[in-house]
Amino acid sequence: MTMHRAPRCLMIGLMACLTATEPGAAATPPWLRDLFPSTYRPLPREDTLIVHATILDGVGHRIEDGALLMRDGRIAAVGPHLADAKAHMIDARGRWITPGLIDIHSHDGTYVVPITATDEDASDVSELSDPNAADSWIETAINPQDPAFARALAHGVTTLQVLPGSSPIFGGRSVVLHPIPATTMQAMKVPGAPWGMKMACGENPKSEDAEKRRGPTSREGEIAFIRAAFAKADRYRQAWGRYLAGQGTQPDDDARLDTLAAVLDGRIAVHMHCYRADEMAVMLDLSRALGFRIAAFHHAVEGYKIAPLLARAHVCAAVWSDWWGYKMEALDGIRENAAFIDAAGGCAMMHSDSPFLGQWLNIEAGKAAAAGRRAGLDLPPEHVIGWLTANPARALGQETRIGTLEPGKDADAVIWSAEPFSVYAHADMVFIDGAVAFDRADPHRRPRTDFELGRTPPEAP
Amino acid sequence: MIRAARIAALAILAALPPWAQARAADGPVPVIAIVHALAMPVATPPVADATILIAGGHVRSVTTHGPVPPGARRIDARGRIVTPGLFSAATQLGLVEVSGARDTDDRTVSRGPLGPAFDVQYALNGHSSLLPLARADGLAWAMSYPGGTQLAPFAGQGALIHLRPSGDILAHAGAAMVAAMGDIALAPAGGSRAAQWVLLRAALAEARQPPSAHDPASGRILAPVDRVALAPVIAGTMPLLIVANRESDIRQAIRLTRETAIRVVVLGGAEAWRAAADLAAAHVPIILDPEADLLQTFDSLGARLDNAALLAKAGVEIAFSVPGNGIYLSYDAGLDLREGAGIAVANGLPYAAALRAITAAPAAIWGVRGAGTLVSGAGADLVLWDGDPLEPASSPALMFIDGHELSLSTRQSALRDRYAPARPDAPPRDTALPPAYR
Repeated sequence: MTMHRAPRCLMIGLMACLTATEPGAAATPPWLRDLFPSTYRPLPREDTLIVHATILDGVGHRIEDGALLMRDGRIAAVGPHLADAKAHMIDARGRWITPGLIDIHSHDGTYVVPITATDEDASDVSELSDPNAADSWIETAINPQDPAFARALAHGVTTLQVLPGSSPIFGGRSVVLHPIPATTMQAMKVPGAPWGMKMACGENPKSEDAEKRRGPTSREGEIAFIRAAFAKADRYRQAWGRYLAGQGTQPDDDARLDTLAAVLDGRIAVHMHCYRADEMAVMLDLSRALGFRIAAFHHAVEGYKIAPLLARAHVCAAVWSDWWGYKMEALDGIRENAAFIDAAGGCAMMHSDSPFLGQWLNIEAGKAAAAGRRAGLDLPPEHVIGWLTANPARALGQETRIGTLEPGKDADAVIWSAEPFSVYAHADMVFIDGAVAFDRADPHRRPRTDFELGRTPPEAP
Repeated sequence: MIRAARIAALAILAALPPWAQARAADGPVPVIAIVHALAMPVATPPVADATILIAGGHVRSVTTHGPVPPGARRIDARGRIVTPGLFSAATQLGLVEVSGARDTDDRTVSRGPLGPAFDVQYALNGHSSLLPLARADGLAWAMSYPGGTQLAPFAGQGALIHLRPSGDILAHAGAAMVAAMGDIALAPAGGSRAAQWVLLRAALAEARQPPSAHDPASGRILAPVDRVALAPVIAGTMPLLIVANRESDIRQAIRLTRETAIRVVVLGGAEAWRAAADLAAAHVPIILDPEADLLQTFDSLGARLDNAALLAKAGVEIAFSVPGNGIYLSYDAGLDLREGAGIAVANGLPYAAALRAITAAPAAIWGVRGAGTLVSGAGADLVLWDGDPLEPASSPALMFIDGHELSLSTRQSALRDRYAPARPDAPPRDTALPPAYR
């Protein structure tokens, strides 16, 4: 960008500047244009002081008889003794407070319940026309009326990343949402949260391609496909670089290469579906060779076998507590997976991958931590809560905004009826940006989707 | 020399896989006394500071602070909970190893003529790697049911399995005749649930008539082998397990049992709470998923977490089967059965009813006498827990089947031990060699 052109950009407006077709007018390459900007606004809120709770702050502290002050949608203070005469006060004696849970791997809004034959014929979870669907943005498929959003919210989830499925090798861009009631995706979209890009290795893409008789049919073919795609994207990126430096003509804008170029630029991190340890090790080497960053391996059922390697690479692992065995690459799943990844100094996270588990992330972490404790590891609740909060915030690149109850962060918090990893615990109240998004005791703060309206009774008979 | 040989023999025993160890331990066992237990016999109220006597593969007594016979092996429970071995009312354990690898999956017959005659007893694999894990999570009994056939609406016959470590798990073949109704099995019926019910009723009517060589209508639906398979259903000795979630199908199941002598059990029952009073009146038990509250399909729009609580309150016999995306049904059949029971308690079901739904209730539904309770004379399948058994974070500390203490080792625990991070208090491990040498 040259100095004399900058004012002109500002004069014609930011969007026009970013999408300019005039040679040399564009200030930035096209791959970070947000075509569907967030219109999210926090729900109506008041400053709130919650007192007499056991607080797990997500940073590693446990505060007995603690208080949490939320002011203007931010965490104002956390501590043993707080006061604010003007704030609405909630007595949470005997109850627990944690940061809002973050589900790093959801398909809500695209795997929409109730599932019907329509989904079997053509699902929105993955775009299947090509093994490279990097040009698909999952946000363009989100159905806000999926009842699974409200179920996730009712069980403590305040932020979730919806990822494309694992049938294509390049699944496309992810989106980060608040699971709040809305009529548009844009109204759920977390402002400023970066996209991720879904990639997949192993059985899923190759079996999809073998079935469709197109694309790679083997693990080695998948790797070759990835190399070729990134090589092409790199040429595209360089062509844009030359153009933006005032040399050469403007390249054609290619939505598929845009996403991959943003990945090579380090502006979009990869969320990599992989099961086996050997496959993850190959992907780590490949990411270094080609210059892309893996934020997290997803599923990673053999993550425990290479826990130190994952920790050294600063790559998180999103895992289940006990899913194993249902396919060949899942045979070696063990319940200590998260705990062993954690013990090596790595970044362990629990994920749902399904609307079913999206409601029980707290129990998932409880099961995984219990297995780790039985294996001799010290895993107190104040540490384990990080698997559902601080660690996924980091993998989303949102660690400065969410994931802990530190002053200045978004006031996303949950009041639990009991120790949050217990099967008996309920999310009593869920706050997003300081607003009550769910209240188990108040029917007017328990969202019901349009789909449920007139179909299912809200209360017991 | 003798000493060395004895040590070598012990070393060999220790190196045997868990099932082989248990087999080696078969044979006469001494009387066992578990003392200072919080016993939950299920059939009777909990007993604090209980002494539980086990002999000859059976529970002898559960008494408060009871005496320990001389020579008995004494186990101090230190106040921890002892329950019967758990019973899953419906799983597919023993029928599938890797569900994604179809040559290891015997649950469903997708070609060929068999309908009601399809019988999973012949496919049971007592050495499936899924079984030791289910046992290590407290499971002693299960009904393993088939996935489907091409003769709608029949899925075939389920079998009762007793998770004996010897691998001899078949306890009773022909435990249930399974018929799948509603959206999960429309295709074989031609696309309509109306056809499913007509086909079911027509097949039952046909099985009721003696075969006639002269009647051209005879044998229209059923092959002779299927007619034979349905005979015990007609006679009321084999329950008909109807898989159904929508209220209309559940009411059809009630109607069927009222009009015939057929014993009907419903599996699924997402909307069963809507027919709770009629289910109770018709004595139709419901095997339900206490974790189901998503509107998974149009058949389950009424799914709710207090389904179990509402049914129990109405007097319906309930038992649990926790499918958990299809994975928990078999791969974690013990752990997640308990989790489901815990979730039912969190949503209003009394604790005793939840424990009964994973012990005595399925035993009663499937007619297994002496399973699922700790009453005197019951089979000595029992678990000493390290915490609350309905918390999935808890685990068995000791488990007995037929009075034999089991190894709780599994393939997973072997992987765990192989890859566990080095503990500061552990002797140094040779890290120069790959884990496969450990």
